[in-house]
Amino acid sequence: MESSKQGHREVLESMYSVIALIFVLVACVELGDAASAVDVYRLIQYDISGVPLGSRFASLNHHASSMHFSPGADLSRTVLVIPIRELDLSFVKEYISRRQPLGGLLFLLPQIFSFENKEGTGDSDKHHELELHKNSLLELEQSLVHANIPYPVYFAFEDDNVNAILADIKRNDASGQQATATTGGYKLVVSAAEPKKIASPVITNIQGWLYGSKADGDTNQLPTIAIVASYDTFGAAPALSVGSDSNGSGAVALLEIARLFSILYSNPKTRGRYNLLFGLTSGGPYNYNGTHKWLRGFDQRQRETIDYAICLNSIGSWDNELYVHVSKPPENAYIKQFFEGISSVAEELGVKVGLKHKKINISNSRVAWEHEQFSRHRMTAATLSELSVASGLLERTGGLSDGRHFVNENSVARAVKLVAESLARHIYGYQGKNIEIFADGSSLAINPSYIGSWLNLLSQTPRVAPFLLKNDPFVLALKKELTDHTDEVIMQTEVLEGMFTFYDSTKATLNVYQVASVTFDLLLLLVLGSYLIVLFSFLVIVTRGLDDLISLFRRPSSRKVKTA
Amino acid sequence: MTVFHFFNCAILTFGPHAVYYSATPLSEYDTLGTSVKAALVYLGTTLVKLVCLATFLKVSENDSFDPSQELLKALIGFVDVAGLYFASTQLTHRNISQNHKFQAIGLGWAFSDSVLHRLAPLWVGARGLEFTWDYILQGVEANANLVFSISLAALGSLMWLRKNKPKTLIPINVCAGIVASMPSITSYLRWGLGWHFSKVVGFQLITSLVIAFISWQLFSACQKPYA
Repeated sequence: MESSKQGHREVLESMYSVIALIFVLVACVELGDAASAVDVYRLIQYDISGVPLGSRFASLNHHASSMHFSPGADLSRTVLVIPIRELDLSFVKEYISRRQPLGGLLFLLPQIFSFENKEGTGDSDKHHELELHKNSLLELEQSLVHANIPYPVYFAFEDDNVNAILADIKRNDASGQQATATTGGYKLVVSAAEPKKIASPVITNIQGWLYGSKADGDTNQLPTIAIVASYDTFGAAPALSVGSDSNGSGAVALLEIARLFSILYSNPKTRGRYNLLFGLTSGGPYNYNGTHKWLRGFDQRQRETIDYAICLNSIGSWDNELYVHVSKPPENAYIKQFFEGISSVAEELGVKVGLKHKKINISNSRVAWEHEQFSRHRMTAATLSELSVASGLLERTGGLSDGRHFVNENSVARAVKLVAESLARHIYGYQGKNIEIFADGSSLAINPSYIGSWLNLLSQTPRVAPFLLKNDPFVLALKKELTDHTDEVIMQTEVLEGMFTFYDSTKATLNVYQVASVTFDLLLLLVLGSYLIVLFSFLVIVTRGLDDLISLFRRPSSRKVKTA
Repeated sequence: MTVFHFFNCAILTFGPHAVYYSATPLSEYDTLGTSVKAALVYLGTTLVKLVCLATFLKVSENDSFDPSQELLKALIGFVDVAGLYFASTQLTHRNISQNHKFQAIGLGWAFSDSVLHRLAPLWVGARGLEFTWDYILQGVEANANLVFSISLAALGSLMWLRKNKPKTLIPINVCAGIVASMPSITSYLRWGLGWHFSKVVGFQLITSLVIAFISWQLFSACQKPYA
């Protein structure tokens, strides 16, 4: 009795495992049955002091439609697929601002914007097209980032597969049929969990010192010049915000300057009478929050030894003119000296440098330039940038259109030359003398391939601070690079404070299914039903005769009576 | 909606078997037991076939058509005939007429083939969101396969079950040979000639009808003298 029970239970248990196995198998197989899977990048979702902004949803399961939808159609269950080439900005803006219901938005970016795309843009025609796309992208990005969008918004790159699907969708739309559950078409599915808040986003600042030499040896008393660049980005799609120009170019320039001076400072004879402080700061798009944290970490004595700081911002795509932005009056001794130094080098290089003075407003929380963060801490600083005016919050922070193609490594090299040369002349007291320290062809020449390779790396690494891990390989690479050139490299990790809250899920896979309509299935059922009836009748007639068939329908019960 | 599609495909795949059973006198003589036994024999035969395939066949890295391997596969395919022979002759059936016996065996054979080869893909695939014609075509293929199985069983019954054999077995043998090598032929069309699945299914459907007609003619021709 006991044993039989036992056996019974064992059988049951084995049954359960079999059932579980079947479920697992079914689940496994069902994962990958889509016609095509496309990598998609979600529009950023964030709050500014509790105000929800960006795309508020991640999961998507709707029919696709192109821009050629019939007017007056209900789009609340439709994903609009919009290629940037055919972008109608006013339409999108109106749709967003009026908060029209929509199933979702999928923007198709030209392949050239992909940072995996290695092709050059030698074609001038292509370049013109690129510029055109860039401007519309910039505008689109701003309108998306500053709006609260109650549906998922994704970006994807065009490829043959996607284009074929889009062409199909367009054809469907052109034929006047609205893609709904009853007419078939394509279904776009992104299965993603609901986006969660990133608990405490960290920002990492990296600093490195090059110590100058002094006769009596106490380096702390030497004056310091700081060179600072923020390296993180912000953009509509965090996974695509590589920010080659803003501010990848600044970070690269900083590394190159550190490399050049490390050569000079490694030899005691050429070691200058200034300490050099290099700072790669994070949190740039968020009012230079990282710079703020970094400066707060210095004590008063250290702050006072810093003569001035040079901030590098967006110096990758200028032609002829750079601007020195300051918040202290230009009569300030350090600023005057720095500006004069850089102007004289600029003259030799045949470029122009303009001075822009903008007072800071302490009561306003907006910090438009990195040097303003220094000014708030009562330090002298200037920002070198190709931009002539300050941009707004979350503007020009290295978004979708800020790719490698728009950054010229020559521009970066010239900016490096400008800064390094004027700095070296100041350090070694060669102002006004026509001595080229970092002359081309010398051992101290600027290395364009170094700049190029770092630019390439930065242009392939999305660097939106909240999505960079604490020990992100990229941050560690920056640290290592700085360690190679400077002493006493410190990584400072701080929590990103302030009004920003971010949500995760920046990347997803979009499954595109070609679906049949319900009407098709109904029709199929009808056809199959009639097929089976015909088959039945045919078989009955062949094997039993026509009379049997007729009797079957006339008196359904007669047969039973007979057989009984 | 997709469950609906699965339902449709299932009807197409398994419906004809049920219709065949209920429409023909098979249901009147309650030959379900015979069909079930045939299905079990099919199961055993398939196992034997699998073992043979696993033992003798090289694993090909691609879907290319290798004649020698295919020939071997075709030879192993004839295990089916042996299984059918076993089902028709060795199994003790209830006293049913020869006519009904081969039909019941063919039906059971085809049905278990459909269940084994088509139910799982159908369940997994046809319920997905993605629409393809594959599962509908697969259903049509199941129909053709039903006709083939019954034809083969009919020809087999002519060869093995008659006490007084027909005078000439040649057309019957040829026909049976063609039917038995049908899987190899379709495989050749599909991989050797690179036909599309829909074309292959169309070919199968047409051949099945032709074979059915021929075997019917043969069967009735053999029937006549004793009628």
